[in-house]
Amino acid sequence: MRRDKLRRLALPASLLGAILLLALAAPVLPLGNPVSQDINHRLAGISAGHWLGQDEYGRDVLTRLIWGARVSLSVAVSATVIATIVGTLLGILGGYFRGMVEIGTVRMAEIVLCFPPMLLALLVVTLLGPGAGTLIFTLAILFTPTFARVAYAETLSVRALDYVTAQEALGARSGRILLRTLLPNIAPPLIVQFSLTIAAAMLLESGLSFLGLGVVPPDPSWGLMIRGARTTMEQAPLLLLWPCLALTGTVLVLNLFCDRLRNALDPGTGGRSRPGFLRRLAVLAGAAEQPAAVPGLLAVRKLTLEVQGPTGPVPVVRDVNITVAPGETLAVVGESGSGKTLTGLAVMGLLPAAVRVTAGQILYTGRDGRTRDLLRLPERALRALRGRDLSMVFQDPASSLNPLLRIDAHLGEALRAHGQRQGIAARVVELLRNVGLPDPESRARSYPHELSGGQRQRVMIAAAIANHPRLLLADEPTTALDVTVQAQILDLLAGLKRSEEGMGMVFVTHNLAVVAEIADRVAVMYAGEVVEEGPVAEVFAAPRHPYTAALIASTPEGDAERLTSIPGRVPQAWAMPEGCRFAPRCEHARAICDQSAPALESPAPGRTTRCLRWKELA
Amino acid sequence: MLAYAARRLLVSLALVWVVATLVFMVIHIIPGDPAELLLAQGGVAPDPWLVTDLREKLGLDQPLMTQYWTYLGGLAQGNFGYSLLDDHSVADEIALRLPRTLELVGAAALIALLFGLPLGVLAALRAGEALDRLLSSLAALALSVPVFVVGTLIILVLAQNLRLVPAGGYIAFATDPLRHLGLLLMPAITIAVGLGAVVLRVTRGSVLEVLERDHVRAAQARGVSVAAIIRRHVVRNALTPVVTVVALHLGALLGGTVLVEFVFNWPGVSGYLVRSVESRDYPEVMGIVLVISSIFVLLNFLVDLLYAVIDPRVRHG
Ligand code: SF4
Repeated sequence: MRRDKLRRLALPASLLGAILLLALAAPVLPLGNPVSQDINHRLAGISAGHWLGQDEYGRDVLTRLIWGARVSLSVAVSATVIATIVGTLLGILGGYFRGMVEIGTVRMAEIVLCFPPMLLALLVVTLLGPGAGTLIFTLAILFTPTFARVAYAETLSVRALDYVTAQEALGARSGRILLRTLLPNIAPPLIVQFSLTIAAAMLLESGLSFLGLGVVPPDPSWGLMIRGARTTMEQAPLLLLWPCLALTGTVLVLNLFCDRLRNALDPGTGGRSRPGFLRRLAVLAGAAEQPAAVPGLLAVRKLTLEVQGPTGPVPVVRDVNITVAPGETLAVVGESGSGKTLTGLAVMGLLPAAVRVTAGQILYTGRDGRTRDLLRLPERALRALRGRDLSMVFQDPASSLNPLLRIDAHLGEALRAHGQRQGIAARVVELLRNVGLPDPESRARSYPHELSGGQRQRVMIAAAIANHPRLLLADEPTTALDVTVQAQILDLLAGLKRSEEGMGMVFVTHNLAVVAEIADRVAVMYAGEVVEEGPVAEVFAAPRHPYTAALIASTPEGDAERLTSIPGRVPQAWAMPEGCRFAPRCEHARAICDQSAPALESPAPGRTTRCLRWKELA
Repeated sequence: MLAYAARRLLVSLALVWVVATLVFMVIHIIPGDPAELLLAQGGVAPDPWLVTDLREKLGLDQPLMTQYWTYLGGLAQGNFGYSLLDDHSVADEIALRLPRTLELVGAAALIALLFGLPLGVLAALRAGEALDRLLSSLAALALSVPVFVVGTLIILVLAQNLRLVPAGGYIAFATDPLRHLGLLLMPAITIAVGLGAVVLRVTRGSVLEVLERDHVRAAQARGVSVAAIIRRHVVRNALTPVVTVVALHLGALLGGTVLVEFVFNWPGVSGYLVRSVESRDYPEVMGIVLVISSIFVLLNFLVDLLYAVIDPRVRHG
């Protein structure tokens, strides 16, 4: 990835190098004098001695072009260097001392930003008169605040770093530490800003020169050349073209260089290339329609999901089987990273673009009694099911509601999306009342930020059940809420099972205490696999997998705290153990557990486990 | 909402005062006598009599604070002083020319948004595909061409070679509405090229970011159609940064029209500014800089109000 980024940097970098070299070498190149006139040959066309022709004073255009690069670039670079040094110093001082010093440095510099840049430049030119010196001074003033801001922001963030604070507390000379930590951090944004500023400075310089307020004739500058060529545009249009091309080309190369440099310096993957949602890439090949109806509501079979890792595709969910019957609640339990949420999203067809379905079936039996494979269902048909047959409640109600839309808009669109046209307002209020929202009439007209977290989750639930779905997926619906509110939301969900007749529910959670309260059956997931499944009471009474047993043992009665007490961590997806995935953390692991991956076995009717030694341990 | 608006307005007024004070300071604090600087054309020392005369005329012989109060008092009454060259009222001249510049900038912004917004959304939805790459490259090119180059080339091709349009100029709307708009179009397009590219870029980035938000996925889970999601959940939410950037650029453009007005002979406030700078007519320069900077500040105030319209959280916050 990084190599690739550097390679993409090569083209603009070498072009930029060539331009700089040409400008630097101008005095030693076999060029004429850029200001020597030859009035007899004014506006002469291209000739052997003048490759690009002669201008309105008979001066050689190519010579002036190259010398012009020298003038334009030297003005832009000097101004940028000054702005960088002054701005960075101001920014570091302001960020380090804060308080009055900050006002005297960063905030002072920012006043410059109150003026449109061109205007300020003209103001300075009025006072000092045109010329290269004025230009450099003006441009330096204009660009100093940007550098001050960058340096200021970086200084603040470095100061906030834990180890810097710690070292300061230990009495180390804070200034030295700060500089040592700051310089490597501040360099990348400054380099990018530096090249951006050079481009901006060139634009301003050429603009001012074009107006006749920048570089003073007869010195060559691209802006001046365009100004001059404009007057003779009718006789010699090419004269206009050369400096235009030179100027645009140089700025373009600079901008391109910046873009790619920023990409190369960015530690992330750089440039998200795929929009996150809205695009479902993976519809598996094959017919969605199943020849024979499958009993039950939902049957996930051998579901396998992959993400693209640094060295190749990595399975994050493997061979997952779960079933839900009408009216039944299945809890899917696991630590974060176990693949439980991805499994839920796969059912909805809402997987993030980075996750690919590679195998399996998700069989859903609809109201018409026909069974379809959701993984093979075209997006249109699946969308018709979403929100009507299949609904989902997400973990964070705050971010799952659009902050710019009223509550009733969220509910209304759920109804409208599935064909309801009349009585929407009344139905919205009814829904809100059903989920226990106080004063539903006025709440419907509220914005999400005016509601509490628990109220927002009630709204999300109301939207999810608006069309009487047959399957409700709840992905950690209480995790983001206060403990007291959690219980209310659980009660609400439990109540829904009674009011929404026949509705199946998949309840994704990391909290076993919740499972006992709400679910009929439980599927325990670990490292992308279902390791045990069965009726809640049986599984809790007699777990058949060491992981389940450890989970139960580590859950304090009635408490909703995170599972932390199993030693070790879930293995990374790209570093899965060969044999049993739980082996590194399993207290019953034997040599055999490292060798072969356990298959799914059935310790009792309606129960499964993925442990090689379940019989011995039972 | 009203309280919010009032608060923002107060901040804006304070900023205008800061700008006015700064303009005053720039002229008076920097070393060198303004009168001498003004008269020192071509490096020749000015006639001391003339300098004293000018100092008196400008009130420079009075104490700085007195000058400052006189200046602020003048501003409060809409008096920006008089031209050194022809004694014309600066305020009158600005009142005549400013609307033309605002019209130009407004037209440019309209064109830029008209193209930049939909194309930006399109590029985001097609991110990584050929169309996105094409649009992004075009935007990069548009951002690299200096505005006066665009203008000059447009004149060269359309007016000079193809003789499709006049090479610039101005006709009052009241005289001939059609020709007025025709003449407005070229400079407006010239400005819109760069501005449209900015809008496209910002829109693209903003839409991409919004597309990753949870509420988009939640809307999808409700079965809402893609078109409706883009309309209701993506574009509107992506608008805030676009508004910010357009406003900032519009502000910068108020100064930047200098070049376009010059190229197209558009008799706006900028041409007036360039003339004043050339002749170092500093009451004129001060007046124009002050007015444009104030508009810049006002624009930011309007943007803040617009935020409140777009985002209910700002209203209540
Ligand atoms: S297979 Fe072995 S390591 Fe895995 S859970 Fe069973 S006993 Fe533990």
